[in-house]
Amino acid sequence: MLVEEAAQEVFLKAYTQLGSFEGRGSFEGWLTRIATNTCLNMVRGAKRRPELTVSDLTEDEQGWLEHQSAGDGGEPASVENSVVATDLADRLLSVLSPEDQQALLMIDGEQASIKEVADATGWSESKVKVRAFRARKKVREAMEKLLSYKGGRVSG
Amino acid sequence: MIKMPDKVNAKHITEILDKGSIAMLSESELNEIRVHALECMSCRMAYEAARLSAVVIKSRAEAAIEPSPFFQTRVMAALREQQAVESVPAMLRLWRSAKVLVSTMAVTTAALAVVSFIQPAQTTTAPEQTASSYSAYSVIMDQDADDQMSYEQVLSTIYEDDDDAR
Repeated sequence: MLVEEAAQEVFLKAYTQLGSFEGRGSFEGWLTRIATNTCLNMVRGAKRRPELTVSDLTEDEQGWLEHQSAGDGGEPASVENSVVATDLADRLLSVLSPEDQQALLMIDGEQASIKEVADATGWSESKVKVRAFRARKKVREAMEKLLSYKGGRVSG
Repeated sequence: MIKMPDKVNAKHITEILDKGSIAMLSESELNEIRVHALECMSCRMAYEAARLSAVVIKSRAEAAIEPSPFFQTRVMAALREQQAVESVPAMLRLWRSAKVLVSTMAVTTAALAVVSFIQPAQTTTAPEQTASSYSAYSVIMDQDADDQMSYEQVLSTIYEDDDDAR
């Protein structure tokens, strides 16, 4: 499992490089930096999709989209729905570069601030903003395409 | 051309949507978008896409991943392995990684030496040694022995016996 591999790699790096932690920043920040770089390196090897179409989605994912766009989406999320939504998120994120995925997941998903992302990744704050903006736009456009393929059944 | 019921247009709406997470938009911004979306199909689609994207991204970030029960054991084993590798001296590590290559090169050199210096000497003495193991009688009378020998060997065996007789 890729997540476990990444976690193991992070633990090993953190343990072996513990001597390089100078205590200038927080330990959490130092560990987050190691985790971010490790994960980015691992994700860089993954294949990117240039475009996402409805035929790439499973029946559950298509159903989820249809249901959500037809209703108001305000119903409580079941575990099953969450799994489908998570899979759909992975598909949408696959159109992005690993760096853009990272920025979007941290800011929109984990509600991290621009500064927190900049600290964790080593990018400048303006670079983080640009990446997040671009990622959000690409994901929204990919989602728009999926919705229009479904016949444009969008709630008003 | 997109209708503009308010002071907003489609480009402005998408800029608002892409500027930040939809969850972080103010109520006035959301109202502005909703009112405009009522009459503008493309903005309605953009808003809906942004809303659904925000839902799935949030689900992705909140997904809790439980490690397998053997995760800790695996990490500790990997750590011990790494420490074992680091405790070995650098020259020994170099030898371990290069020993196959060095061994192969040594064997190849030895084989070349054997082929170059020993084999030619064996080739020149071979007919005499082989010929001496047969008698002229066996060569002439025994068809099987004859088949196993070369023409030169047959001749040398016969004449050798003649010489001995003289």
